[in-house]
Amino acid sequence: MRSRVGERLKLPLPLFITEKKFYYFFLTPAIVYLTIFYIYPLFYALYISFFDYCLGAKTTTFIGITNYLRAFTEPRFVIALKNTMIFVAGAVAIELCLGLAIAFLLSPETRTMRVIRALILLPTSLAPLVVALIWKALLQPDLGVVTYYLRSLGINIGRGLLEERSTALLTIIMIDVWQWTPLVSMIFLAGIKSLPHDVVEAGIVDGASPWQILRYITLPLLRPVFVVATLMRGMDALKIFDSVWAITGGGPGTATTVLNFYLFEQGIQHLKVSYGAAIGNLFLGICIPLGVLFVSLLYFRQYKI
Amino acid sequence: MRMRRALIVVTCIVLGCIVGVAQEKPFSGMVLRLASMADQFAPFLVELGRRFETLTGARVEVDILGYPELFAAVTHDLATGTKVYDLITVDIVWTGLFAEREWMVDLEPLIKRDYLELDIPDILPVCWSQGRWKVGDKWVQIAFPMAAYANSLIYRKDLFEDPAEKEAFYKRYGYELRPPRSIKELRDIAEFFTRPPHLYGLVANGARGPAVAQDWMEFMRIFGGDIIRDGKVVVYSPENLAALEFFVELHTKWAPPGSVGYWWDDRETAYRTGLAVMQSSWSIARPGYEDPKISLVVGKTGMAIPPFEPSTIVRTGFGGWGIGINNDIDPERQEAAWAFIKWITSAEIQKEWARHEGAPIRLSVLTDPELVREMPWYPTLLKILIHGDGDYRPRYPEYSEIQDILGLRVHQAITLELTPDEALRLAHQEIEALFAGK
Repeated sequence: MRSRVGERLKLPLPLFITEKKFYYFFLTPAIVYLTIFYIYPLFYALYISFFDYCLGAKTTTFIGITNYLRAFTEPRFVIALKNTMIFVAGAVAIELCLGLAIAFLLSPETRTMRVIRALILLPTSLAPLVVALIWKALLQPDLGVVTYYLRSLGINIGRGLLEERSTALLTIIMIDVWQWTPLVSMIFLAGIKSLPHDVVEAGIVDGASPWQILRYITLPLLRPVFVVATLMRGMDALKIFDSVWAITGGGPGTATTVLNFYLFEQGIQHLKVSYGAAIGNLFLGICIPLGVLFVSLLYFRQYKI
Repeated sequence: MRMRRALIVVTCIVLGCIVGVAQEKPFSGMVLRLASMADQFAPFLVELGRRFETLTGARVEVDILGYPELFAAVTHDLATGTKVYDLITVDIVWTGLFAEREWMVDLEPLIKRDYLELDIPDILPVCWSQGRWKVGDKWVQIAFPMAAYANSLIYRKDLFEDPAEKEAFYKRYGYELRPPRSIKELRDIAEFFTRPPHLYGLVANGARGPAVAQDWMEFMRIFGGDIIRDGKVVVYSPENLAALEFFVELHTKWAPPGSVGYWWDDRETAYRTGLAVMQSSWSIARPGYEDPKISLVVGKTGMAIPPFEPSTIVRTGFGGWGIGINNDIDPERQEAAWAFIKWITSAEIQKEWARHEGAPIRLSVLTDPELVREMPWYPTLLKILIHGDGDYRPRYPEYSEIQDILGLRVHQAITLELTPDEALRLAHQEIEALFAGK
């Protein structure tokens, strides 16, 4: 039934429709959609980043790569980039470790576990902004419930977890961990459930200890799941904005200023659209190689085993 | 034949009624959209929008937005000409930006046209800074005064009048406890009432960004400082340095420990729950202290003119919201929008609005005997408004960036990341750089 490209399809279609045309016909909506909503804005952002355009300004001048140079000489951009990387590395690492542990805990097929699996997914169903506002209230430095209990336990939290430079970013990371670890655990759980039993059974027959089974059989087999979970959470964590915007406003000082927040300040609040576009492009330029490198490394190791 | 005559008569009557109604309601069927700040005055603005339809036929739909959302929504609407909003509430500090970009209708000709109807002399002079700006050689009025806010000193009257407290204060400081009139008195009283962990003398916003920047600028004003004076950046000045040192002291000694993370709602909560004894606050929040649903200090609040350095001219912080018309909409809609502005700023509506957490702009409303009985703080509020200065926060087009710079540097000072001197020097350099070449 399969026909070669260019041949007429053996389907009840008009004579002038070849298979090639048939493919294009179905691809067109996706191509149009991608062009309008992704490719055009991408190139437009690149284009305006070479100007000094401010929203609503009557004139604009071509300034070449000045916006890009400015970003690298602007200490707040560098701090924001550093904070973003710390946030992504910290949040994703903790979520992967905790998520894997929880997945193993929840893997037995009992009724209780099935109920718990459904319940722990609740935080992921909340909008990040709602989560941020809830945690902001809980961590309010003088009247917050969490703050009250921490102080009652004699824990010195200084002016508050979100008010101290040493703990603010870590607290933002923990809020992200609270919301997204359940999702990661469900991804791992799906992976664990799909593992081939015969390999594990062969290991048991050969006398492997539970640790050896985990280290040499389960974890290597879960590597593709790791890739998916890391990519999903990594890409999502790079977009961090809501919680910083709603909870700390980038403070204390610049302790929680992340790239998207800095971009928002420049592009939206100060209306410096061109500079905002340049920051966005730089961010994209950093993210793409990182993503490609990460995926290639993990797949390379997978094929090596 | 008779039947035909009767039909003609009935048709004429119906047509006459339609014409009559149309004449009575000049904007029938029109729907105007208003972007409003989510302040205390907003819910009643929604009600006014509905009522306007019964009067003129034009319905005003009000979108209530938080401050950053409002700014983003209206600037993008105005810059791109999408005409989503016909009417916009304009923060006093947006005046320069909106005027320079020619985003709003210049109301000056309309004000001149309807001068008598508007009863202009009844509007407090300071309110005109909500929207007045010089573009080139021409003065424009891009917003009409709508809600007048005054920065006032809010204090716990019950504690100030407590004989035991008065006696203890006198013993310690050698003068009578009263609402502070000078910085020294403010410092003494803040120190006196600071009894951690349940009572703190003085509270202010500390969260990075507009919260800390705006509250610090109020203290800067109290100390007689400025951001820009005679067109020159004067951030690094002795007055401002003294103000910042005081502000650091406030956050480290007299305010609740978490005040460095406070936004407006946190500061208000600290006061309304009885945690703080004094704060400098916008007058729009004043009626809320008497609302038992949100306040634990009902009947215990006093309002006073903020203290000031004896050597400085008395000027109080003035702010609030004007209302303007989108320059992109067609003349007919502009006329309807102007009719709405005239109506909601009339003495009659302002009086009604005052009872629903409005912020009157009119002398006749602030001195209305009925209202003064209901809101005994009005005479003090009027005094503060009379001395109001709408420019203590520079209304320049660069205001957003100035606020951002101060929001970071002042915050770094109060969190002890920078000394006040370092913070002000940096802020001065950065703000000066904004104006370089202009």
